[in-house]
This record gives sequence, C-alpha cells and structure tokens, in this order.
Amino acid sequence: MTRPVPVEKPNIKPHVWAIGGGKGGVGKSALTTGIAMTLAGQGQRCVMIDADLGGANLHTFLGMSSPEHTISDLFRDPTKNLQDILLATPFENLGLISGARAMLNVANLKHFQKEKLIRQVFSLEADYIFIDLGAGSSFNVLDFFIAAHNGLMVVTPTPTSIENTYHFLRAAYFRKLRHVIRDLKVEALVDSSLDDKEKSGIRSPRDLVAELRRRDPSAGEEIDRAMMSFSPGLIVNQVQRHQDRNLGKEMALACKDFLGIDVTMAGSVRTDEQVLMALNSRRPTLSMFPQSNFAKDVRQIVQKLEW
Amino acid sequence: MSEDSLQASFDFFGLSHDASIDEVEKSFRELRNLYSEGSLATYSLLDDADRQEKLAALRKAYDRILQSYSHTPDSEVDPEREAGPFPAKSLIVNIDADLQQMPGLFLQQSRKALGLSLQDVAKRTKVRASILQDIEEQRFDFLPAPVYLRGFLREFARMVNVPDADALIDAFMARDKNDKERKID
Repeated sequence: MTRPVPVEKPNIKPHVWAIGGGKGGVGKSALTTGIAMTLAGQGQRCVMIDADLGGANLHTFLGMSSPEHTISDLFRDPTKNLQDILLATPFENLGLISGARAMLNVANLKHFQKEKLIRQVFSLEADYIFIDLGAGSSFNVLDFFIAAHNGLMVVTPTPTSIENTYHFLRAAYFRKLRHVIRDLKVEALVDSSLDDKEKSGIRSPRDLVAELRRRDPSAGEEIDRAMMSFSPGLIVNQVQRHQDRNLGKEMALACKDFLGIDVTMAGSVRTDEQVLMALNSRRPTLSMFPQSNFAKDVRQIVQKLEW
Repeated sequence: MSEDSLQASFDFFGLSHDASIDEVEKSFRELRNLYSEGSLATYSLLDDADRQEKLAALRKAYDRILQSYSHTPDSEVDPEREAGPFPAKSLIVNIDADLQQMPGLFLQQSRKALGLSLQDVAKRTKVRASILQDIEEQRFDFLPAPVYLRGFLREFARMVNVPDADALIDAFMARDKNDKERKID
C-alpha cells in the first residue's frame, strides 16, 4: 500500500475541519473517526472533538468506555480549558475531546461559551482537529461549521438526507454571509435588498450576492471575496447502487448552478456491513477491518483532500 | 444566429467551443438527468418551474450547438446510401430480444448486428443519437411526444432492417403509454 505524503501547512496549525450535514445517522461520526485515524496513522497529531452535545458517542466508535472528562466540565469549572479535558485514546497520535454526558441544556450553549470554545479549538496542540457536529442546522452547529478552516458535509443517497444537506448548506451560507455583512457593516444594504426580494427576484444565495453587487459594487465585491472561502467538501456515504456513485458530482454541479456555492466532491464511501460489525464490537472499523471497503474508501478520501 | 449564442451554449455545458459532439451529448445527458423530475441530486433544491426552465434552456443550448455541427459539411456522404437502409452485414450480434417485450433492446441488437454506432443511425435518420439511445433503453420519461416518437421509431426500424416495423412500433408505443399511466397513478 502506498501512503500519501501529507502536505505540511506550517502556517495553519492546527488545521480545523468540521463535519456536518444536517441529518443524523448518515455516518458523520464513523467517517470522522475513519479520517482522523488514517491521518493519525500517518504520524499527524489529530484531535477529534465530539460536538454532538447531548448525543455524543465518538468514544464508543474508538472503543473507549464512558470518558472521565468531557466538555461539560468546562461549563462547571470556568478555569478549565479544552487542553485540560483532552483524552488519550487507544491509538497513537489521536486525542479525543468528548461531549458525552453533557447536561441537557448544554446543547443550547450561551453565546460567550460558544465563542470561548471556538477560540480554544484553534489553540489546541495538534496538527489536525476534527469537529464532529450534531445533526440539524441550529446556530450552534452552524457556527462551528463556518468557524472551521474547512467543512465537510456527509450525505447518503436518500431524499431525506439530500434535503437536509441542501438546507444545511443554505443555512451555513447565510450564517456566514451574516457574519461577513456584520464585519463589513453593510447590514442596511442587505436589509433593503431583501425587502425588495420579490421585485429583484432573489431566490438563492447567489441571487442575493448578485443583487448586493448591483446596488453597491464595492461592498458587493468584498462580500463576494469573503464568501469565496466558503467551499465545503461533500462525502457521499452508504453508496450501494451504481448510479449513486455520481451523486456527489451531480450535487456539486447543482449547488454551483442554483446556489452559486462551490462544493467540492470529496469522495464516495460504499455501504459496508463491517462498519456495523466493528461498532458492535466497539472497535473502529479501520483497526478491525483495515481492508474493508469502508477503510479503502476513507483512505482514498484522505489522500484526495488537500490537507 | 450569432456566434455569441453559440459560445453561450457551450458555456452552458461547461465545455470549450472545440468540444466534440460526443462530449456535448454526454454533458447533455448528464444535465438532463440532473434536472429531470426523478433526479435524486436535485431533490428539494428545484421546484417544477425551475426544472422546466432549466430543461428548456438546456434543450435550446443543445439545439444551438447541434445546428452549428450540421453546418460543417459531412465528409463524403454517399448519396445513394443516404436515403435507404444499411446493407446487411454478417450477423455477429444475435438478435434474441423479444420484440414484444423489449422493443428497445430489439432495435439495439438490430443496430449492432449491422455494426452501426448510434451516431451512424443518427446521421441517416436525422434523429438525435441521444433520443435513439433513450429509445433503445426504453427511457420513457425522456422520450418525445407520441406523435414524434412514432415517426422516430419508424425511421430507426427502417434503418436497421427490422422486418416487421409496425409490430415493433405498436409494442413500443403500448409500453410507453403504460409507463406514463403508471406514473400518473
């Protein structure tokens, strides 16, 4: 097996990835685990953050028992930071920050708590951070997604997952746009554009940016430039039928065409019953079945993504 | 029509102006699948009006490009062969498809038995290769209205020497009708 030589990016450290995509049960945690383990196996220091507050179970994917320290410690004791609750895992170079046993209300993080958490993520000692997000498109989920250097969306070839993915993508785009607009102090421009929504025919994010450019070319251009960096990757998981192998490519084309958002096809992962078998044995698929289709497909994704 | 609209048509497909007809065909088919009603990839992203608008624009761009190709003179078309069916070649491909059950496959096998590509047949019948392919694959969703379809089937059947064209057309049209009624239910 040939191992790709990881590209060093010394200027950004740690490099932060967020994995989201709207629907639950599409394989976000399994893929996060697979990708992080692959890179850790190549000698990169990786940390996985289980940000599915309220439904965290990344530790189970790694075969760990209920973790001693979790994110909820931070809210009980404000003197603690992320580095303090970083757990060692059974795998070399791979750390875990668990969101398990979070108090019920933790899913509704307060604004300052969220800001603090995001700041600390970027100061962790690691090469790569992977934030495994919960389902849905709530602001807490979106804010982690857009704060990361790169976002990955996981979709399965089902109408429900696809619908949620588009919803998530739109929501994330508008959330980021809102931040950009706030930073540029052009809220009034956007409000007036949206007020005349019917007249100017704004139906997609792209229409809105086009309208902003028309009304104020210089501000529009700055917004455009800032939004260019919003270019999430897409992983199609649980691919079974031959025709679904093209789904990612087609969705990327449709996103560009209708939303004006550049989505990068990161790869497809085949349905593999060994994932379930490994999970039931509470071991990661990659260590239990390194030659499974799942493991092969994940390695290919890692090789293809620009790290 | 202007060169501008031709360039815009190639842009529509994301192709450069020197793209081959095969590339245009391929892109056309991909985009048509993407915008069609049954497409998984655009589920919830497009409403019916969006789809219709997109498909109409697609068809327009496609026709514009095809038109530009037809202006380039074909190399050496034998005028005698132009109108008539192709002479029978040795039968390498067996025609074993049931004409009643699988009329599309029957046409495909008949074509292959003559050693013809879809493009060969398209050139003679003046029916687009993509439509011929849809006929062969019995993709009823994509086929034109019955009034046109009937004529296309007749031309296709004639070109590939189907002995009983009427039987084939009837079988095909019956399947088309069934398929569409099932969709409505």
